[in-house]
Amino acid sequence: MEFEQTRRIFEKARERFGEDVSLSDRPNTEGSIVVEPSRIRDFTRWVRDEADGGFDFFGEVCATDFLGRSPRFDLTYTVYSTTANRHLHYKTRVDDPDPQVDSVVDIYPGAGWHEREIFDMFGVRFNGHPDLRRILMPEHWRGHPLRKDYPLGGEEVQFSSNFADITPQTLPPAPGEDIFLGWDVLETQPSSYTQLLESGAELEHDGEGRMVINMGPQHPSTHGVLRLLLELDGENVVKAVPDIGFLHTGIEKTGESLNYQQALTLTDRMDYLSPMGNNLAFSLSVEKLIGLEPPERATVLRVIFAELTRIQSHLVWLGTHALDLGAMSAFFYCFRERDQILDMFEMVSGVRMMTSYICPGGLREDVTDDFVPALERFLKVFPDRLGEYETLLTRNPIWLERTQGVGKISAEDAVAYGVSGASLRGSGVRWDVRKAEPYCGYETYDFEVPVGTNGDVYDRYLCRIEEMRQSHRIIRQALSRLQPGPVQAEERKVVPPPKSEIGQSMESLIHHFLITTIGFVAPPGEGHVPTETGRGLLSFYIVGDGSPKPYRMRARTPSFANLQALPRMLEGCLVADAVATIGSIDIVLGEIDR
Amino acid sequence: MANSHDVVPGVVFSTVDKVARWAQSSSLWPFAFGLACCAIEMMSTVAGRFDIARFGAEVFRASPRQADLMIVAGRVSMKMGPVIKRLYDQMPDPKWVIAMGACSSCGGVFNNYAIIQGVDKVIPVDVYVPGCPPNPDALLYAVTRLQEKIRSGEARPGHRILEPAAGSLSESIHTS
Repeated sequence: MEFEQTRRIFEKARERFGEDVSLSDRPNTEGSIVVEPSRIRDFTRWVRDEADGGFDFFGEVCATDFLGRSPRFDLTYTVYSTTANRHLHYKTRVDDPDPQVDSVVDIYPGAGWHEREIFDMFGVRFNGHPDLRRILMPEHWRGHPLRKDYPLGGEEVQFSSNFADITPQTLPPAPGEDIFLGWDVLETQPSSYTQLLESGAELEHDGEGRMVINMGPQHPSTHGVLRLLLELDGENVVKAVPDIGFLHTGIEKTGESLNYQQALTLTDRMDYLSPMGNNLAFSLSVEKLIGLEPPERATVLRVIFAELTRIQSHLVWLGTHALDLGAMSAFFYCFRERDQILDMFEMVSGVRMMTSYICPGGLREDVTDDFVPALERFLKVFPDRLGEYETLLTRNPIWLERTQGVGKISAEDAVAYGVSGASLRGSGVRWDVRKAEPYCGYETYDFEVPVGTNGDVYDRYLCRIEEMRQSHRIIRQALSRLQPGPVQAEERKVVPPPKSEIGQSMESLIHHFLITTIGFVAPPGEGHVPTETGRGLLSFYIVGDGSPKPYRMRARTPSFANLQALPRMLEGCLVADAVATIGSIDIVLGEIDR
Repeated sequence: MANSHDVVPGVVFSTVDKVARWAQSSSLWPFAFGLACCAIEMMSTVAGRFDIARFGAEVFRASPRQADLMIVAGRVSMKMGPVIKRLYDQMPDPKWVIAMGACSSCGGVFNNYAIIQGVDKVIPVDVYVPGCPPNPDALLYAVTRLQEKIRSGEARPGHRILEPAAGSLSESIHTS
């Protein structure tokens, strides 16, 4: 979205809200509208229904702690339009002590979990939120980890020089407050579980044949460490309450303590099934912040790798989803092809999964000579292999019985909850970021966006199968465009100069030294580029402050929003259908909990 | 456990023990329990190309009560720590633990407030596998190393209390 568009919407907002809105002064960006906290609900309603045709899809709300500034916290809302193909940022600012703002949950239901996350991580209260509890950290955690005055924590590393001084459990004490509660936290947690199961989470018991059961966090078909509280009437699910945070890794906090190149490596570990997709989203945001264009060859290779990643991610989904429903052979077939793709990743980056191959400025290295032949071999066999999977499942009566009409969600609900990716398209909404807001030149590729009609597990299955076919098509086209050339931008202040140049130029030597020791510097501003990974809308929101480290690194992850809609899909289903439905929204807990 | 062949009453006992250890090592039943990225490589290890069945450890069980090997595949968060401890306690003796990957071995790149710096602060570990994530080959090597340890009697089945450092906060966990 261009700055001019934001300005146009701002001018309309000025007519309506007067002095309560202003235009953000941050440079290098698409701009955002700043709203007085007291008008946030009116403004949000206006944005949803009227502003420039309306923005129906709630992307995220993200907080930034500007410690020392008054007002202290920025809340940035990002909303999208699924029909007009654009997005808008607007902000409100709240101050210490006791920061609070009105909740927008009743306007955008999808805001529910995002607001809870901000409450958990920043301690901003949302008035009128129906269920404002911690979401990622344990219930009785003290402090709000993403505030800038909260220590990073962890353990000091033991070297031989300081080995004796450090006891393994040392954690940095917080200023004035004992934030780390020690291992007592772990000791008391089981009782809080029981409480939650018996009374909490607003589960209503009428005492008449209702039962609350616990599913997870250790359960073979929750795809990781998801915990679900299911309230049952016989075998029918009356209500489902997801409990997440069992894999909370502090990726955003750690990323803010590292420089940009180092923070890139954390993104691999977020959605570990599409590492290249995460690398790409992060790199695009950082490139936007520093105003850098990667060369043509790098962009084409990025498309190839993003699509290969989509295929391998869908293969894991298909294999495990089928396994959950009792079809074991699909698992072995899918992993056979996935290994073929991982071999190519290993060829170019040296590792199978955590590649960090796509980086700000282009790619880490050019592809090896044997990459293109290997890719051609894969492209040759893949359509037949895809046919094999379909023979196993698409017309299989057991598969149809387990998936058709199960876990339904309507198009309106899916959009309202911020569901994206194939989970949204299964309900018939033709919204794919690659088409709606193209990046990496996706507008020049010829491909279809498959959509379903019923919004059930089976339609989501068909959508993903067809997406793999379309990805195959895109890779074929990209491969035919691949021309020799550089894969890194010629920007010496960001991309380290080649070895040959260092021996001849003093300036190159200095750049190389600075980039490797300190990292490259990004100007103050904000970078945000929406992308489409295998799971849906992924965007990084990077706030630079003129230092080599991101001041704020926030990931809007698709699984987080998709999981939020799970209770809606499960209403009225059977317990066994819960397994099918969880499999069909293709969640990765690593990016939900971050 | 007797290990001397020249003590007469020990002969039979020692042999049975050896046979038992051989049997235990050759039919490890891992616990189907994945946490993060490493769990995906653990799944690759089960699939056809690497095929953990060659080492008799393919029977992944979804219940801790049917498993004797816990592969901690991924980072262990503060919220997950007590859950892992409980799952470990639910596994019947004899039982073993492989810490797969850098995170479960030592916290990996996530040295922060959210991650327990090594699962060995919560449960005892027999084999550590380096890597982020380790290749399936590395996991297979860890399984064979564990088998060797079981056969040699080095990896002792069942509970072991770690020795907590003086005044350590972890004391309460291990002795409870």
